[in-house]
Amino acid sequence: MIGNFSTSQTLKHAALIIGALIVILPFYAMVSYSFKSPHEIETNTGGFFGAQEPMVDEWCVKANNPSGAIASEELIKSCTTTPVVFNYKSAFSKAPLLRYLFNGVFVTVSIFLIQVLIALPCAYALAKLKFWGRDVVFMLVLFCLLIPVHAIALPLYIMLSKVGLINSYAALIIPWTISVFGIFLMRQFFMTIPDDLIDAARIDGMSEFSIVWKVMLPCAVPALMAFAIFSVVAHWNDYFWPRIAITSDRNYFTPPLGLRMFKGDSDGDVYGPMMATATIIVTPLIVAFLLAQRKFIEGITLSGMK
Amino acid sequence: MTTKVTTIEQTTKQVSPLKGADYRAKWISYLFCLPAVTLMFVILLVPIFIAGILSFTDYSLGNPDIAWLGAKNYEVIFGRSSYQKMIWATVTYVLVVVPISIGLGLGAALLINSLNRFGDLYKAIYFLPVMAALLAMALVWDLALHPTVGIVNQTLRTGCGTWVEGLLAFGWLPWVDGAQSWYSTSCADEFPLWIGDRDYAMATICFIGIWQAFGFNMVLYLAGLTGVPRELYHAAAIDGVTNSWDRFRLVTWPMLGPTTVFVVTITSINSFKVFDTVEALTWGGPAKSTYVMMYAIFEKAVKENQVGFGSAITVVFLLFVLIITFTQRFLVEKRVHYS
Repeated sequence: MIGNFSTSQTLKHAALIIGALIVILPFYAMVSYSFKSPHEIETNTGGFFGAQEPMVDEWCVKANNPSGAIASEELIKSCTTTPVVFNYKSAFSKAPLLRYLFNGVFVTVSIFLIQVLIALPCAYALAKLKFWGRDVVFMLVLFCLLIPVHAIALPLYIMLSKVGLINSYAALIIPWTISVFGIFLMRQFFMTIPDDLIDAARIDGMSEFSIVWKVMLPCAVPALMAFAIFSVVAHWNDYFWPRIAITSDRNYFTPPLGLRMFKGDSDGDVYGPMMATATIIVTPLIVAFLLAQRKFIEGITLSGMK
Repeated sequence: MTTKVTTIEQTTKQVSPLKGADYRAKWISYLFCLPAVTLMFVILLVPIFIAGILSFTDYSLGNPDIAWLGAKNYEVIFGRSSYQKMIWATVTYVLVVVPISIGLGLGAALLINSLNRFGDLYKAIYFLPVMAALLAMALVWDLALHPTVGIVNQTLRTGCGTWVEGLLAFGWLPWVDGAQSWYSTSCADEFPLWIGDRDYAMATICFIGIWQAFGFNMVLYLAGLTGVPRELYHAAAIDGVTNSWDRFRLVTWPMLGPTTVFVVTITSINSFKVFDTVEALTWGGPAKSTYVMMYAIFEKAVKENQVGFGSAITVVFLLFVLIITFTQRFLVEKRVHYS
């Protein structure tokens, strides 16, 4: 019985391990490539970490030797480095990656804060206040849930360029300021909060504004956490909208746009730095996910509640 | 408990500040809804209206002349072969990615659910692609699938002439001629260019889409499986359902109905939106084989400034998505609920 039992378990593990290997392959390749020298990438040698043999940074030589004369030994020596250092250093020096990362953080955080600022009062009114037209507003929310953002990207692009906002932080943020999904989610959550709590706050003389921010907001923290994960993951990883909204100005590039610039570079061997950049962009969310798996899965599958 | 509630209700009626609260609640509710409702109109509803209007024109940015074309843009989309290819490519992508990623997601969920241990580990691994920026991973796949440098073709090539070839050529199956198999002919000739080859480009883009999406479906199915009551399996066993396929067919699958409707809807909509992989890897080519709608909108309207025409594609896209959504609503109300 036990032998039979473990046979089926072993087969299941075998199937799942094969799947896991295919899932992990690109992550493995990405990190491994980011460690290797151009030669090792080309010949697919060096194992996972690469041999880390010292190599000459050609860009460094060129930059310090503009005349194109035969480079002095000292220069070559000072430009010699290991592949892993070369790749990660070039990721930051060939493109303003720090700036891109800052843009990414700024845009995702702004989007989330504005979404909450707009959605929370509306959700509170829909859940707890009685007013003429409440059902109409709620119907409107439900209707807007049907609209896929990809379908309004083009008209939004036209509207934003009409007011001269293309290539700006505003262009990256404005389309996402309204999250009907956030309103819907928060409204459902607020419905479960007892009216007594709000009445008690009113008796204590709190204004409706303070009720929203001092009573409802703290109550909603678990739901807000899930929504935060949902929102941040979506916008950190988003490529479609930034690709449309930022047409030329590199100052407003988000990390995926910056990464995209590596491809199509006619410069030749930029695979190492490109993979280093990819690793840098992907790592924060992966690490956060591994640390708080349950929260993340909850947050990402939130869209499952629509 | 009851007394407590009544006292509070009484106090709420008696204490005078609450009348004020009820009164102020009237106008403050409108104040609370105003920003959200305004933005819903400006950002969500007006743009759809604009796209609808522009789709009947030849509008382009910076061009003051605008002519009413009637349905001409739509005639081009459905009449000219390159745009028929676009719809065909999009539908192919959806029809390939949706069933396979759902099948794999369901399979993984069932396997993981029946494991004694390490289930959470597989779950975490399979969910990784959902978390990673698709564009970044697309570029990694691009490099991994590079015809000469890429890890995939290099690995396949090292397998040639060894036991790997023997295994993957499937010559050990009595009805297969190993020498004519895909692997052996590729070994003798050359392995595919993948995204550079019109016969493989769509399959490769689909593969990346499936790789990215199935973990999400798996998680939804795992959640659905926790909702299947144990007693049903006991009841089925009493009724003589003993083998696991019948158990799946008669109990698990019907109970997963609502999950499946939802998973199909969200995966279809997400597949219609495919853009990142196409824009980064194939630019819609080769020979328009991966020319999907989102990329067409981007190329026509943003790159080539044919806004009117791009709007028409947008409207067609919106219609596709709405059809899927309404089908879902219909099915949900019709019969997938067993509760």
